[in-house]
Amino acid sequence: MRSDYFIPFLLFAVLLILQTTVVNLISINGIVPDFILILLVFYSVKNNQIYGMILGFIFGFLFDLITGSLLGSSVISKTLAGFTAGYFSNENKREFYLSSYAFPLIVLLCGIIDSFIFSFFSSSDLRSSFVFLMLQQGVYPGIYTAAISMVVVFFMPKRSFI
Amino acid sequence: MIRFFSNVWDSFKEYFILIILIVLGIILISLNQKPAVKSVRAVAFGTFASVSSLVSDVVNIGQLKSENLRLRERNAELMLQMNKLREYGIVNEELKGLVNLKDTTKYPLVPVRIVSKSLSTSQNTITILGGAVDGIKPGMPVINDQGLIGVIYSTSNDYSIARTLKNMDLKLTVKDERSRLDAIMKWNGDDLIMINVPKTFDIKPGDRIMTSELSSIVSIPIPIGVVMELTNVETGIFNEVRIKPYVNFAKAENVFVVKIIESKEKNQLELNFFNRK
Repeated sequence: MRSDYFIPFLLFAVLLILQTTVVNLISINGIVPDFILILLVFYSVKNNQIYGMILGFIFGFLFDLITGSLLGSSVISKTLAGFTAGYFSNENKREFYLSSYAFPLIVLLCGIIDSFIFSFFSSSDLRSSFVFLMLQQGVYPGIYTAAISMVVVFFMPKRSFI
Repeated sequence: MIRFFSNVWDSFKEYFILIILIVLGIILISLNQKPAVKSVRAVAFGTFASVSSLVSDVVNIGQLKSENLRLRERNAELMLQMNKLREYGIVNEELKGLVNLKDTTKYPLVPVRIVSKSLSTSQNTITILGGAVDGIKPGMPVINDQGLIGVIYSTSNDYSIARTLKNMDLKLTVKDERSRLDAIMKWNGDDLIMINVPKTFDIKPGDRIMTSELSSIVSIPIPIGVVMELTNVETGIFNEVRIKPYVNFAKAENVFVVKIIESKEKNQLELNFFNRK
């Protein structure tokens, strides 16, 4: 039970280092995947909605604090992403969601919400059309993150230790 | 009554918690400029950056070879340019002496290394290995051999965070090098643009854009990019000018902080975003 609280933060630290050092090597036209979101979705589906929201809140807070983003923007976007991912935390289907094509789709949905909400709060320029903003700052990063999340499906351990 | 509230809580607790967390998030947004929050942030990113700098070292080793090659080529080009500029400099010194202008061409540079990057589409920031102990302060420009990268936003003892040009919160006064016309430049999430440029302004694709001496943030001339195109030409009285930056933000690794000696008198007179007590 204790590992449920400890391991996500350990993985968060590792992924945040990768997010801020390695991820620029795989950026496509400035669009980068969000490793933290994949971790958040995984644990939200694995546990429950409340756990996902609180984890999202803490991840977002630490991310904003460390990277210099507007403090609060990732807090809100990651909390909402955790809330959305928590909807898929059904005890009967949990295994299926975490180890099938469904996982990247959940990440895609949460990624779009996360990227869009983050941009909404951190952007002062709202003159661009809603559709453009949604596509450029929500859908593209969401698709990229979902593609990277397939790694989790391939390497998902049959006997869970995380 | 208690049972009623208990039932409501059980049925909707996820939504209540969501609302509480979002309200907390909004409160955090309003606290961004508080000195206490800035101090906590400085400690947090300083601690994190010391760890990520180790990983950054390993990642960068692979890129050093290609960067060395590029820098050698760049050195040769600069050597040729420098010879030319040295001659201009001599003439310039003479002319300045004649009209009694103060020399403002020497800027102390602090070489620093980027240890981490946050490449978000709207809030692009970099963390550099160099902080208050090196004399780095918020508001100082960060450059490399290609041009302006960004402006220091926050510092801890050993590390600093800089907002790059690809950050919506950074707006600069820039100048067209050819026509000497000024405008405000910002990142719109997709491109660097000069906004509210009157259609009568003589700005053409291919013009070099640099920082303007009118800027209260970066008042020394540093190259930024080249004009790509003018948009919104058909409607309204203003154009938007799209700029292609010289700097490749994703590949930048070793940069310099320009330790501009600020004029206190000028700072007190001007409304400066980075003004400090």
